[in-house]
Amino acid sequence: MGNYLETANSWIMWLAAIPISVAVLGLAFIYTKRARAAGDLVGLTKEEANQAFRVGMTSAIGPGIGVFIVMLGLMSVVGAPMAWMRLSVIGAAPTELTAANMAAQAQGIELGGANYDLIHFANATWVMALNGSAWLLATALITDRLDRVTKKISGGDPEKIGILMITAMLGAFAFMVVNEIHKSIEVTKDYGGIVAVLVGAFGMVLFEKISDRYPVLKEFNLGIVMVIAMALAYLSRGLF
Amino acid sequence: MQENIDMTAYNKEFTKPIIKYGRLINLLCIFLSFLPALVMWFYYGFKPANAEILAGWGLIASIFGIYAVVEPVSYYPVLGLAGTYIGVLSGNISNVRVPASVIAQDAVGTTPGTKKAELVSTIAIAGSIIMNLAIVTIGAIGGATIMGFFPEPVVEAFTYVTPAIFGAIFGMNFVKNFLYGGFALVLAGILVFFTNLPTYVIIPILVFATIVLGLFDHNRKLKNKND
Repeated sequence: MGNYLETANSWIMWLAAIPISVAVLGLAFIYTKRARAAGDLVGLTKEEANQAFRVGMTSAIGPGIGVFIVMLGLMSVVGAPMAWMRLSVIGAAPTELTAANMAAQAQGIELGGANYDLIHFANATWVMALNGSAWLLATALITDRLDRVTKKISGGDPEKIGILMITAMLGAFAFMVVNEIHKSIEVTKDYGGIVAVLVGAFGMVLFEKISDRYPVLKEFNLGIVMVIAMALAYLSRGLF
Repeated sequence: MQENIDMTAYNKEFTKPIIKYGRLINLLCIFLSFLPALVMWFYYGFKPANAEILAGWGLIASIFGIYAVVEPVSYYPVLGLAGTYIGVLSGNISNVRVPASVIAQDAVGTTPGTKKAELVSTIAIAGSIIMNLAIVTIGAIGGATIMGFFPEPVVEAFTYVTPAIFGAIFGMNFVKNFLYGGFALVLAGILVFFTNLPTYVIIPILVFATIVLGLFDHNRKLKNKND
């Protein structure tokens, strides 16, 4: 057999990858339309809805480039169409890469190695699909129930829902922050990660305080802080 | 305190269709995600033995399977109804969807937890999906050659994009309540550095412990106010 990547990058693989992204775009379209339609009921103006959409788009530029950079690694082993499909919907690169790895391991072969062939690539497509399906199934089945549980806990009080939201985010992202620090110390030995996470956190606290006075800044906060944090992390690497 | 809105109309206009289409498209996408595997099988004629597929799935499920339930449950209070359906479907929840949602709510100036905030969050996540898709599409077609356009230090600096985002999103919420944030940080420190608990146990503990603290504190303040 020739190089499996030729097949993995063929136009027919692109054809197989496109429908799911169209479906996700379709859902994004339907949700935006419904949210705009319901806007009148809660006093959301057209301008505010447009601003929300614009901020949503611009806020995804930095993180999106981050996704693209890790996508390159995935592309080199499963081809562009699969990497594109898995990262424009459902997946996160580390999970997908691990899934492809496990598919290869199950066949006793090394992912992307010299003997890695179409039958192994085929296994990766199956394992990635099965793995992602668990998330889709769980979400399809339990999300409306979570809605009912949340309403019960909060009694529909927006102040309580707000607290639920902020505390849940603090809990989840406290883990992300501490985990990055832990990873930098124990695994990668790269203290740039610690600099990035700390500058990100304290930078945001500072910029939030500043933008309380100048609200126009708010939508740029994340972008500015991210760039500063990445730059300082990069520059600090030689120091330790 | 209740919001002064027509909930029957809101449910009809928003909540009900969100659930209907969210569930429908999520289930549809399960089928669509198998298209590449089916193409490999019926067009190219390569189909691994069922045992190999299941063994691979078993291996990956043993690492990540539990997150299929933990993630929607843990992120539900953050993303809300529409955000959960479309956020899980589009992936990259913590590094793309959550930032889009919170920055937009901040910029528009909505109060967290209100219906207006829910709509703003939904629209912002939709916007982030379009941008994300545009970037990965350009990336997938351009591939490694695109990397050549960026100077080396920029590419290197971008290896720190994930911790930078995580720190920033934490900071954004930390500033809203230092008590809850401090509590979450200390608890996270203890759980990560001093226990061997797996991530899928640590995240729910942190999320729900911080929620309980928040609601407890809220009720206590309410009681003090009423006394």
